[in-house]
Amino acid sequence: MKVSQIVKNLQLTKVTSREDLEREITGGYTSDLLSNVMGQAKAGMIWVTMQGHHNIAAIGALIGLAAIIVAGGTKIEEDTIIRADENELPIFTTNMSSYEVTGKLYALGITNQQ
Amino acid sequence: MKTFIADFHVHTLLSPCAEIEMTPHHIVMRAAQYGISILAITDHNSSANVPAALEAGRKYGVTVFPGMEVECAEEAHLVVIFATWEQLLNWQKVIDNSRIGLPPNNAEKFGKQFVVDADDNFLYEEKKLLLGSCSLKAEDVIKQSKEMGALVFAAHIDRPSYSLLGQLGFIGDDLQLDAVEISRLAIAELKEKKLKPLVGNRPYLTNSDGHTIVDFLQGPKNFLELKEPSLEEVKLALTGKKGRKFTPGYFIKYNC
Repeated sequence: MKVSQIVKNLQLTKVTSREDLEREITGGYTSDLLSNVMGQAKAGMIWVTMQGHHNIAAIGALIGLAAIIVAGGTKIEEDTIIRADENELPIFTTNMSSYEVTGKLYALGITNQQ
Repeated sequence: MKTFIADFHVHTLLSPCAEIEMTPHHIVMRAAQYGISILAITDHNSSANVPAALEAGRKYGVTVFPGMEVECAEEAHLVVIFATWEQLLNWQKVIDNSRIGLPPNNAEKFGKQFVVDADDNFLYEEKKLLLGSCSLKAEDVIKQSKEMGALVFAAHIDRPSYSLLGQLGFIGDDLQLDAVEISRLAIAELKEKKLKPLVGNRPYLTNSDGHTIVDFLQGPKNFLELKEPSLEEVKLALTGKKGRKFTPGYFIKYNC
């Protein structure tokens, strides 16, 4: 499933402006502990977090994530958006909780099963 | 230069997780007994037991720095240390304003929070919840406390919880920390330096983070070479300037 399809389906708000929405999503990961995300998330995954800190953009770019969803209505730092745009990494926000977003992604077939 | 043994992270019985034996007087008395000449009193988000510690410090000839262990919005612990009580009082106002709307302490669940005087007399029980994060981000805690004169370090970065490194994945150059603290469980890191790529070139401090007297005495300290036991001198030592030095991973001789 492509990033653009997820955006439409979950009615996410896009905060970045230089990104690739046609990338194929290979799986998902949900965590707010960034050290854990660095160790566990894989390239091509979509990551759900409540952290708006600019380190999420650096970590997303480092791993090669397809997209990041900042859930729970978390306010996102301006710096985060700048850094994500530099790396053409899409970031979306939503008022839904991490639980709801993750559940919806799973229901759409993003289940991490090969 | 003179030498000092310093512990920059010690809790009193005000912290709900600390034992009742951790009165400011008892901590300072033990410090004097074991040659620990510099202490920072750092309770969770509160300064109420610092005046008693300062008084005990004067009595026993131990330098006590007024400090606090702050929980920032990212749920990581940062230790701020000031030169004077007035500075910490001003900082307390900043913290109080960023911790509004929290529930009262549940003493059964978290532990009681006692405020005492320098002679171990009970003054009052703090009813506000001292655990829990403030609304200031790490960046703001560091920036604002430093503007008020603080020395700031990220606490126990090696631990799985309440660690700035754990929460943020890496500690970027934009955070103006004076040091990062390695807990007693990761003393090997001083030699192995495995975390260096993630924390940058910041100096390592090792403190007891004592919640009991045994923890406090057995826990790691820092060995300092300073002209005098002042916060400015400690800052110089952390940057290795003007011949001031510090060596983390120092332990006193203590058998319980």
